[in-house]
Parts: sequence; C-alpha cells; structure tokens
Amino acid sequence: MRRIDRTRLVAAASGLALLGVVGPVAAQTNASDPIKIGVILPLTGAGAGLGIPSRNGILLAEKQINAAGGIKGRKIKVVIEDDTTNPDAALNKANNLIFGEKVVALVGPIQTANTVAVGGITAPVKFPQVALGGLGPAVELERKCVFHAAPPQNQNARAMLAYAKSLGVKNAAALYDSGYGTVVWNQLSKFAGEYGIKFGVTEKFEIAATDTTPQAAKIRASQPDAIFVIGVTGVPVRAIRQLQMKQPIIAAIGQATYEIVKSMGDAAEGVVFPEFLVPEDPLPHQKAFVDAYKAEYGRAPKSIESIAYDALKAMSQAIGKAGPEAGNEAICAAMRGPYSGNSTEYDFSAPDMTGIKLNGFIYSKLVGGHFNRLPFKNAE
Amino acid sequence: MATRSIVILVIIAAIALAVPPFLPRSVVDLLVFSCIYSIAGLGVGLLLGQCGIANLGQSVFYALGAYATAYMTVTLGVGAAWGFLTGVILSGLIALVIGWPVLRLTGHFLALATLALGIVANALFYEWDWLTHGSLGFGGIPKLNIFGLVIDTPLRFYYLAGAVLALCLLASANLIGSRTGLMLRAMRDAPEAAKSLGVNAQWLRTRIFILSAIFGSIAGSLFAHYGSFVNVQSFGIEKAIAFLIIPVLGGATSLPGVVIGALFTTLVPEMLTRFGDLHQVLFGLTLMATVVLMPSGLMGGLASLSRYMTARGRA
Repeated sequence: MRRIDRTRLVAAASGLALLGVVGPVAAQTNASDPIKIGVILPLTGAGAGLGIPSRNGILLAEKQINAAGGIKGRKIKVVIEDDTTNPDAALNKANNLIFGEKVVALVGPIQTANTVAVGGITAPVKFPQVALGGLGPAVELERKCVFHAAPPQNQNARAMLAYAKSLGVKNAAALYDSGYGTVVWNQLSKFAGEYGIKFGVTEKFEIAATDTTPQAAKIRASQPDAIFVIGVTGVPVRAIRQLQMKQPIIAAIGQATYEIVKSMGDAAEGVVFPEFLVPEDPLPHQKAFVDAYKAEYGRAPKSIESIAYDALKAMSQAIGKAGPEAGNEAICAAMRGPYSGNSTEYDFSAPDMTGIKLNGFIYSKLVGGHFNRLPFKNAE
Repeated sequence: MATRSIVILVIIAAIALAVPPFLPRSVVDLLVFSCIYSIAGLGVGLLLGQCGIANLGQSVFYALGAYATAYMTVTLGVGAAWGFLTGVILSGLIALVIGWPVLRLTGHFLALATLALGIVANALFYEWDWLTHGSLGFGGIPKLNIFGLVIDTPLRFYYLAGAVLALCLLASANLIGSRTGLMLRAMRDAPEAAKSLGVNAQWLRTRIFILSAIFGSIAGSLFAHYGSFVNVQSFGIEKAIAFLIIPVLGGATSLPGVVIGALFTTLVPEMLTRFGDLHQVLFGLTLMATVVLMPSGLMGGLASLSRYMTARGRA
C-alpha cells in the first residue's frame, strides 16, 4: 500500500510539473478570433534597451490597427515573447509562437544572432517574419521570407560616410565596440575609399567597457578630421570629449536614443546621427506617430520605436492583402514590395529584404540634449 | 546495480522515449537543449564531483565544437562527422596544453584560472572574425543527415541528442566505476594518501579535463547542427556559469543529477518568463533556495525525501 501511495505521489507531481511546462492548450481558431502575430523581443538582458522601446512601438501599432477595424474585420493580437537577448531562447520562443500559439507571422527579433537563429526555423517553412535589425550574414540573403525593418550595415556605413564627405573629411578615425560596432566598422572600411575618406587610427573596445579613454587618447594623437563612433552606449563619446577633442563625431543609429544621449552628458553636444526620426522636428508624415506615441507613453519616440511600429504595420498590411488564412507563402508574397513606413520608404522585394535607400535616412545633430534635424540629405 | 535502480532506470527511459511525441514543439525544443547542456554539464560534473575542480571554462570547448562544425560544414563543405572530429581533437589538444600547467593549481585559484580561460577565449572569438565571423556569426550549418534521415525537427533531434547523452552517461559511469574512478575519488578526498600510493594526480586531473573538454565539444557541435547558426553571443561567460550550475544544482557526484540539473536550468527559466521582467530575479531566488535547502543538489534532496518517506512509512 505504501508503495502504491508513493507511486501516486510521484505520478501526481510529474503531472503537475508537466502541466506547468506545457501550459494551457491553444484554443481552436475561428473567423471571429483575433489574428495572432508573434513578437520576439529582448525585454531583459543586454538588449532590453532596444527591446522595451520596440515593444512600445509595436503595442501602439496594434492599438491603432484594431481601432481602425483590424484586418478584414478581425482584430489582431500580438503575442510578445522575451528572448532574454539570448539566441537559444529566441529559438525556443519562435517554436512556441509558430507551432504552439499558431501565430500567422512573426515580428522580431532585433539582434542579428537571434534573428538568424529564428530564421533557421522560419525559412524552411517560408514563415513570414520581419526582423527589427538589419540584414546579417550571407545566409540571410537566401531567406526570402525573413524581411528586415532596419537598414543593413552597409547602408548604415554609407550613410555615415556620406555625411562625413559633405563636411570635407579626408582623414578619419573610428572608435567602435566589439559587437555591433565591428559589423558596421567592417562596412565603413570597405566603402571609405568610395567617399574619398581614409581611416587612420581605428580603435576597438569591449561592448561593456565603462572607460574607453586609452583608445580615445590614441585617436587624439592622430588628429583626424572627424571621428566615427559605433557602439551601444555613451561611453566612447564621453571619452572623446573628456580629452578635449573638438572634431565632429558621427555616431551610428544604435546610439540615437534619449537614454544613451543622456548618459553622454555634455559630451553629446554636436554629435551627428544618420537615423529615421527626430521627434523634436518630425517630417510631416511622422507627426501623427510622434503625437500618438507621446499621448500613449508620455515621452517622445525615436527611430527604434518607429521601426518596430513600421514592422507590425507592414506585416499586418501584408496579412490583410493575402488574407489571414492564406498561408505562409501567400503572406510572404504579399509582403514583398514597396511599403511607405513612418520611418522611411521600404521595398521588401529588394535583395537585402528591406530596400531602404540612402536618401531615406535623415540626419540629426544634438544641441542642448535635443535632436535637431539637419538639412543634409543624401542623393541616391 | 540493484533491481530497484534498474526498474527506475527503465521507467525513466520509457518516459523519455514515449512522452516527447505528445509534447508541444517548444517543450521538445527545451528538452533538446536539456540534452545538449547535460552533455556539456556532464564534463563539468566529472571534474567537480570526481576531482573537486570547479571548471568555468567549459564554454570554450562548447564554442570550439560549434565553430569546428560551422567551419568544416559551411566553409569547407565537408561532412558533419569531420566537424565533430575536428572539434573533439582540437578541444582535447587545447585541454591538454592548457590543463597540464593550470591543473597544478588548486581551490579558488584553479577556478579563477578556468574563468580567465573562458574570458580570453570569448575575446578571441570576437576578435578572430575571419574565423568565427564575429558578431554576425556563422549561418547555414546543414541539418544532420543520418543514413538518409534528416534530423530537421526538434523531436528527431531530441532522440539523437538523447542517444548521445546516454552514451556519454554510460562512458562516465564506466569511468567512475573503474580503477581510475577509485583513484579520482582517492585524490579528491585524500590527496596526500593517494599520492603516497603512487597516484599521478596531475596527469589524472588532466585526463579528466580532456574528457570534459571532449564532452563540451560534442555538445557544441550538436548545438551548431540544431540551431544551424553559431554566434559568439552563445559562448559568453554566462554559458560557462550555466554549465557549472548544472552539476552543482543536480548533485556533482551524481550522473543522473547532471541531467536533472540541466532540465532544471532549461525548463525553470522558461516557466518563470511568465512573470515578465522579474523572471531572472525569480530564477536566482529559486537557485539560491535550492542550493540552501538541498546542499547536496536535487539528487541529494530527492534521496533525502525518499529516505524520509521510507522511514515515515515504517513508523
């Protein structure tokens, strides 16, 4: 008897544990159910600074789409999962959303590693996905259902170089981190010659570095015309200005957030970013988004929020065009083509799966802690 | 092995084989990671449980296996077996070269040395982007194909990784039960006495370090084939800590404990993500509670519970 009791106990414990893991079984879908769109974002971990604003942009887009009647009369419901800035977790979340929650499309992730990992699941079944980062390694060129709502790094690099050229920069220096910074730097070094720019001293620092003064000091000695800074913190800009270097700083889009700018303190003055949204002086078509965002969250959005907003709206439009029950390939096909986003003009049929042109960038300069839109515009 | 243990083992094996087809894909996916992490954690567990060495460098060998597979299959376009083999040879050699001088150290100095190995290697993985593709990573790693069967679903991979894990557990059990295992325990519990009996402690430790590295490499190669993508972010110091937590949590001297530890570290964080931003704090608290309440690990806790229930039943 004792033995039976123990067996029952173990069985009950196993059952409870299993229920805890498995969770509730997904309900059957019917025409009145909301259309589920999966979202994978880094809401915790090192990428949370990108993930949380992106979530705000996505939730605003969901609210507006539903307020406008949804897709073909059906509301949409975003199912948000946190990839904890970890590619392994992103893989698991994608499996859960696609095969468990039965979402019709995916938005996210943001980081290249996570996007490529998830693409390993979505690409073979041609599942529609819009990543919030730019195109990553070459394998992504073959993944024709993994679209990108942010520019590829070659475009980010060209946008920075074009502005430097407009300033007459001939000799430049670069200070970049060992992650995102290295990827952009590889493209900067590749295209610099086309813009008549030569890089002298270039210094790399660890992503999590809290002091880059030694690297900045080496750059100071080389007296460049301008300094390219690529990272995800305000640390390198602070180091440059602390060493009394007055050269123009051209920073990558990843640093164009209020949080990072605030961390730069007074050093932020005069830093220029090629990006997509200046809420202090938005383009006419961006004003409605900026106002709606401010009304919803009580603060101004930046490019990150806008890109995420565009991603959900573009995917929803494609689902509407193909029909929510049309299947993976039909939604992918509907997604391929031009899309006028809040951030910029996209062409998701382009080889880089985003189609953002250089003249789609706008430029901002920090003055007194505020972003000021510059008149400079690239000719495509 | 006692009849009772064999019956329990058979029941567990039957559950492990029969239940996954009925589980959601995302849960099977977690089980795949549990198997992969168990293999890597097993190496750390052998070092910790049998030699008393805290290894914080297992992520290095995990990465070597993954990069070897990526390089051989994507860059050189050769079969998957070459990736596994290259990773294993490379990891074994590096473990020998590094292990021989480093394993002279003891206690926290040794733990710090392995931590340094992990940090240095991670920096090199970032820097050597001509080899590792740095932050962009290696994509397009082919799915494993075993005698024409493409291992392209989590369920298929679960059975494969489970089989590899079973082999590694069997090899480890044989090792622990052998004369070498006896020497290891003697060296751990009474180093001076073992030395006086002619046990070559440094060479013995190095051999286990090499075995641990090989397990790490196999796990890394499996991971690369499963995700079809490897990136330096997957091989940070937090991964090395995770591999150490697995045997600590499960019970360092217990082989099944490693599997339980791996299940815990993959399933519990996933269950806790339902609590949003708090999930990491909750996982930390869960870890602390487990270690405090069950100092000999989850296996030790289960054994204590079983003893308690048996004693109560008799009373």
